[in-house]
Amino acid sequence: MRTVITPSTIDRFRTIVGSERVLAETLERLVYAKDASMNQGECGVAVLCETTAEVAACMRVAADLGLPVVPRGSGTSLAGSAIPLDGSVVISVARMGRVLSVDADTPCAWVEPGVLNLDLTAAVDHLGLHYAPDPSSQAACSIGGNVGTNAGGPHCLASGVTSQHILGMEVVLPDGQVLTIGGPAPDPPGLDLRGFLVGAEGTLGIVTKVCVRLTRNPPVVRTLLVDFTSLTAAGAAVRDIIAKGVIPAAMEMMDRTMTRAVEAFVHAGLPLDAAAVLLVEVDGTAAQVASDADVVEAICRESGASNIRVAVDEAERALFWKARKNAFGACARIAPNYYLHDCVVPRTRLVEVLAAIEEIASRNELVIMNVFHAGDGNLHPLISFDRRDDAQVTRVLRAGHEIIEVCMRVGGTLSGEHGIGMEKRDFMPMQFGVADLDAQARSREAFDPEGRMNPRKVLPSGSKCGDLIFSPDDLPEGTWI
Amino acid sequence: MDLDPGTHVDRVELCRVLRAASIAGRHVRIAGGGSGGHRGRRSHGHADIVSTLGLDRTISHEPADLVATVEAGVPVARLQDELAAHGQTWIHAPSIPGSTVGGLLSRAASGHRRLRYGALRDSVLQIVVVTGDGRLVSAGGKTVKGVAGYDIPRLVVGSNGALGVIVEVTLKLWPMPRTSAWFTARGGTAELADLGEAVRRSIHQPASILLGPDRLDVELIGPDADLLAPAGMTPDQAPPVFGAAGLLEIGVPAAALPDLAVRLARREYAFQAQLGVGTCLAAIDDRSQRDEIRAMAITAGGHAVVVDGPDDLRDDPWGPPPAGMEIMCRLKAAFDPAGILNRGQFIGDPVGTR
Repeated sequence: MRTVITPSTIDRFRTIVGSERVLAETLERLVYAKDASMNQGECGVAVLCETTAEVAACMRVAADLGLPVVPRGSGTSLAGSAIPLDGSVVISVARMGRVLSVDADTPCAWVEPGVLNLDLTAAVDHLGLHYAPDPSSQAACSIGGNVGTNAGGPHCLASGVTSQHILGMEVVLPDGQVLTIGGPAPDPPGLDLRGFLVGAEGTLGIVTKVCVRLTRNPPVVRTLLVDFTSLTAAGAAVRDIIAKGVIPAAMEMMDRTMTRAVEAFVHAGLPLDAAAVLLVEVDGTAAQVASDADVVEAICRESGASNIRVAVDEAERALFWKARKNAFGACARIAPNYYLHDCVVPRTRLVEVLAAIEEIASRNELVIMNVFHAGDGNLHPLISFDRRDDAQVTRVLRAGHEIIEVCMRVGGTLSGEHGIGMEKRDFMPMQFGVADLDAQARSREAFDPEGRMNPRKVLPSGSKCGDLIFSPDDLPEGTWI
Repeated sequence: MDLDPGTHVDRVELCRVLRAASIAGRHVRIAGGGSGGHRGRRSHGHADIVSTLGLDRTISHEPADLVATVEAGVPVARLQDELAAHGQTWIHAPSIPGSTVGGLLSRAASGHRRLRYGALRDSVLQIVVVTGDGRLVSAGGKTVKGVAGYDIPRLVVGSNGALGVIVEVTLKLWPMPRTSAWFTARGGTAELADLGEAVRRSIHQPASILLGPDRLDVELIGPDADLLAPAGMTPDQAPPVFGAAGLLEIGVPAAALPDLAVRLARREYAFQAQLGVGTCLAAIDDRSQRDEIRAMAITAGGHAVVVDGPDDLRDDPWGPPPAGMEIMCRLKAAFDPAGILNRGQFIGDPVGTR
């Protein structure tokens, strides 16, 4: 149902934040109708909040008028999580960008949700600390958005995704109530609401302060760039490194098409003839790094690596990482648009899944490039295309669907770190059964009984089944209903 | 209907039993290995016992993926043996004799290596529960990374059986550390606390720093070159597991823990603090001790929960209610609408009923 934002509603928001920070003109609303995904929605009005009190007051207005609300950080969601549908109110926290306090001893920090991921690390670097999750968009994405999506990044292989680095948060509930959940003291009594709020994609409330765990910088880091003449060999190396008991800090892979695109963009000296390039980083004490790097090098050579290049200094290491983290930008050299997937598959199935993706690409006459977190099996097949070509768009969507089917067939997961949003919402039944989705819908309702927070995201419509009545005798093993 | 421990209860039967109990309003107590001590408020009245010990299959272990799927009644010791045969371990788990996988998860009992590897709940990839009204619900995914859907596993872990009976979990494993070593120092609490904090700052990722009233124990993991005794410490065995008849689990910001430990020692409490983590177990005999320590913890920005002890210590196991109680109660109702599961174990359960 389309939401109508009346002039009097706009006035109520203006009373809270002033006219300057209520965006209601057509062009302004268009900007807030998109995020970094392929989707477009419709923004009724965007309100740029600067304090918790403003967010709470806006939420009370929305509650009063029964308006749907979509929280927004930097708007870099790749799944459409930040897109307002049918004229929802967008509440942006991008201007809440202060690091409020740093406790170097615990170590942790309280920050506002609009703080950019990389800025947080820069703000604590002088203390020998960093914020561990490092999505490729870290120069642009906000901590609030990272909490919303349970963001990942290359270095989550050893250090874990966002959820493991969020100690607490202040959240404004849909009715305007402000709660502080958790904090630096571990294991507060009761249910782990903190853990449940992370990754909820703004469907439970708006996070207005975040208590992040900070991590001490490792004393030694070694970064290796390894070329392989086949994807199979690179995949085997990934599998064997993990099986050998080494969990590198990061282990990333790029295929040939992607490597060429990136090299033309970044000039990092990447090998243009390699079928796959593996970027492996090990960190820790000098002895640990030496031992782990020996294992990694030995396995890569056994797997048929054609060349191993070790970053000689921080500048070269930064260049390697620049190549990896700018991969998505480099795709603009191939085609104007891209459709990015985020499935995770068991590490042992990587090679066969990559082969299947290659087959899907050629059958659908598309260019699909791969740059991904190989160490944890988190694929990022990137389908490049031109949105102006309708026939091509149809093939892109079909190929995307086929890729997801392949990943789910080998026991995969729909999303490793980007979230479900709108884009993967209707695929949810591929991973979850009726009772599973119903339980998720009921849990969501515990926070948002009226269903006004980021509606029509994450769960497909009809997920809640009401009180399901069944005869227990009809219950087959492992299923329900 | 009591289900005898050892009877193979399959999940379909469990659905049927809980559905029937919900309809009849019969209370149910979930039992695992019985190693978890007495938690929550004392419970009154009769409750049927549902044992998970029959759910004892290791469903899969894929060594190259560092992932295992097991049923909740699997004894942790057996699982660790099976994993060790492949050079792997569920590193987040404590070794508590007799404990089951489901039991540890229901009380979110993290192991002594939490400082380096994180909390127990970080190791859960997928969880399957039977809700209070007999629905079989699966959440999360079997891969080492995944954000599809709401994080129900984190709600269930540490919920003390309030939301459902855990029947199956998929766990993230770690390679078994090849070499590790314990070091110890004895002396006064204040000096040992300083020493422990110095270890935390100077050594990269110690596995464990345990501080008691008169001893400090540090575990290091890594290649031999990294297993040198920290200044002021000598090699030793692992310290004994801390336990007491009345046990309080304190959580404060890690930066506030050394000071709290010194205050506990001054009041002659027995305790074991995990420096760097912010948790601390303390032995208590009566309510006044509980309340005194709880007040200290709250002043330090934390809390103190009774995790074992006789009935009188458990008349107020949690202390002041945390923020979000209303939401917690709605979540409880979403999973256990009739409120039959583990009465007294959920923080929002009404006081003094039945």
